[in-house]
Amino acid sequence: MEFNKTWQDMLEQLKTWARVNSPWAIHFNSGSCNGCDIEILATLTPRYDMERFGLKLQGSPRHADVLICTGPVTRQARDRLIRIYEQMPDPKFVIAVGSCALSGGAFQGCYNILGGIDQVLPVDVYVPGCPPRPEAIIDGVVKLLEQLKAGYQPAARRSGVLRPVPVPVTDAG
Amino acid sequence: MLKAAARLLQRWTQATVTPEPERLDVTLDAADLVPAVAALQEARWGYLAAITGVDLGPEAGEIELLYHFCAGAAVVTLRVRTPRNQAFVPSICDSVPSASFYERELMEMLGVTVANTPNTDRLFLPDDWPQEVYPLRKDFRLEDAPLPGSDT
Amino acid sequence: MTAEREPFRIPIGPQHPSLKEPGHFEFSVDGEIVTQASLRLGYVHRGIEKGAEQRSWVQALYLLERVCGICSHVHATAYCLGVEKLAGVEAPPRAQAIRSLVAELERIHSHLLWLGVAAHEAGFDMLFMHSWRDRETVMNLLEGITGNRVNYSANLLGGVKCDIDQRLADAIRAGLDYLEERTQHYLDVVLNDALFLRRTRGIGVMSREDAERLGVVGPTARASGVARDVRVDAPYAAYRTLPVQIVTEMAGDLQARFIVRVRELFETYRLIRTLLDTLPEGELTVRIPRRIPPGEAISRVEAPRGELFYYLKSNGSDQPERIKIRTPTLPNFASVLVLTVGRQLADVPMILAGIDPCFSCNDRMVAIHDTGEGRDRRWTWEQLRQHGIEVYR
Ligand code: SF4
Repeated sequence: MEFNKTWQDMLEQLKTWARVNSPWAIHFNSGSCNGCDIEILATLTPRYDMERFGLKLQGSPRHADVLICTGPVTRQARDRLIRIYEQMPDPKFVIAVGSCALSGGAFQGCYNILGGIDQVLPVDVYVPGCPPRPEAIIDGVVKLLEQLKAGYQPAARRSGVLRPVPVPVTDAG
Repeated sequence: MLKAAARLLQRWTQATVTPEPERLDVTLDAADLVPAVAALQEARWGYLAAITGVDLGPEAGEIELLYHFCAGAAVVTLRVRTPRNQAFVPSICDSVPSASFYERELMEMLGVTVANTPNTDRLFLPDDWPQEVYPLRKDFRLEDAPLPGSDT
Repeated sequence: MTAEREPFRIPIGPQHPSLKEPGHFEFSVDGEIVTQASLRLGYVHRGIEKGAEQRSWVQALYLLERVCGICSHVHATAYCLGVEKLAGVEAPPRAQAIRSLVAELERIHSHLLWLGVAAHEAGFDMLFMHSWRDRETVMNLLEGITGNRVNYSANLLGGVKCDIDQRLADAIRAGLDYLEERTQHYLDVVLNDALFLRRTRGIGVMSREDAERLGVVGPTARASGVARDVRVDAPYAAYRTLPVQIVTEMAGDLQARFIVRVRELFETYRLIRTLLDTLPEGELTVRIPRRIPPGEAISRVEAPRGELFYYLKSNGSDQPERIKIRTPTLPNFASVLVLTVGRQLADVPMILAGIDPCFSCNDRMVAIHDTGEGRDRRWTWEQLRQHGIEVYR
């Protein structure tokens, strides 16, 4: 029994270790202006190189641990967003990137907008900015990874209210 | 360029205005739209830049459709009016195939019936958008289109 | 199964961000050959045209700037020019020059971005990384001028809000020197690289007649020999005193679209240098009334992807009555529907990328739906892309 417990603990630790070192992400644009998307793409390119944290952006939700969302949620994209989220294996984390993804941003009050991502999905990390600088996006990802190391449970698992992890905007020039 | 266009359209013209130096606005009857557009196309005058639908509001009771054609700096706008409660125009897709997108937009955004247009699917609005609610009409209110999934 | 075999229907989409709305394409294929194509937009439809009617003229500027994050400046420029026309004011010459300058820098950023993304679609990630690295040079300059990397908000109604001093001008010149050298290299790749040629030469050919008939705009039109450029046809802002050389190619295939865009970069460098050398002195803004006099205006500017068309109507209040936006991608989409028919399925990603529909970052699900055999298979965009890469290996 005792042995079993440590064995499970170790497995848990191993899983966390693996998750922290190689989170795979999928990016979904649910109505953004593209500004955030190009900044996310920019984080992959040589100058910012997000892959040094092990984060890899790839195509299929079924392989992803992290869902990076940009843009306000449009009516038409809502179902796709939920479907993609549900296709992801547990535990899964959501990062909302950009003012739009936080609250609807500049598009608040438009007829096709439902609001921010957290209207639809439980969000773990909010990265403000319009668009956030690549550094801020990386910061958001790293904050998530640090929290994971500290035993953070995904927002989806914690019952009831969401506890957002605010990420400060870096000093934009 | 504008003179050439004016000549081409002369037969159907009801009124013309030149709001800016390089522009010519020609008012037409909706029934004459197809031959007028065909005449422009046949003479290879410019290309269709856009179709704008303007709702003139419930009091005026009309919707105005603007067909913008550009050739170089010149812009010719064909203006057509149609009653709001029975908005109807013929399709110009026969002579301008690329008009299909704009006509689909007119149908869903303003509730204009476009006769004989090849594709009547929605282009922009979501699948679950209520029928007969047209967001670009002036009397559209957000409440007309309740947000889905308010339970989530 | 009957003799009349139902074609495969392949929806591509729903997600790929375009200028205003990402599209959902549906292709029917017979074996590997596309027989029919249709388009459904709306996943990123936010209702901006209506939203702008509910905001004041000034607020609408910032909303419209967010139609597209890649070419935000041209949207703002088209809108400002239109509103200024309505109000009967004209921005001072220095403001006009800075507008054009930022627009040209934006063109560099957009073309480099596109080159990278298109290269990625061709399975040429090396070039993607290189061009995006070089793109950071422009991003630095834009940030230096306006304070933001994307959505610069350089425009105000009646002028611009940022000035260019000597230090910035020098930085821009230095940046251009570096980029010019790199662009030479890219031109070399586009013209000579064997892999690239296999994926681009003779693919997606659009004849001159088709280009004119479909009303395509921008580099897509110029690659088919249609010399259409608003900067030349209907000059605005600083282009009225600054002649632009139109770059055209005759071949009309994908390679021509690459060449046109890369060659255009050289012209852009020249324009920016000239603008810097001849920057007029003076004010940056003029006063503009809060209520815009009633009237209508049409404003056309040349976005990186082609002609951007704005129609503005004012009813004399402090809010716009109607704003119509026609982004360049819309007519170009129409060309995709025509071009892909009769082509290999494997070419679809490249043809789509060829018109530069802001094809950046998303996963796009591709569902292969075989009604005839009752199979239902889903492909991601990634798999379709891989398919394209493998076919041409
Ligand atoms: S936050 Fe800004 S940049 Fe990002 S999608 Fe929204 S408007 Fe575009």
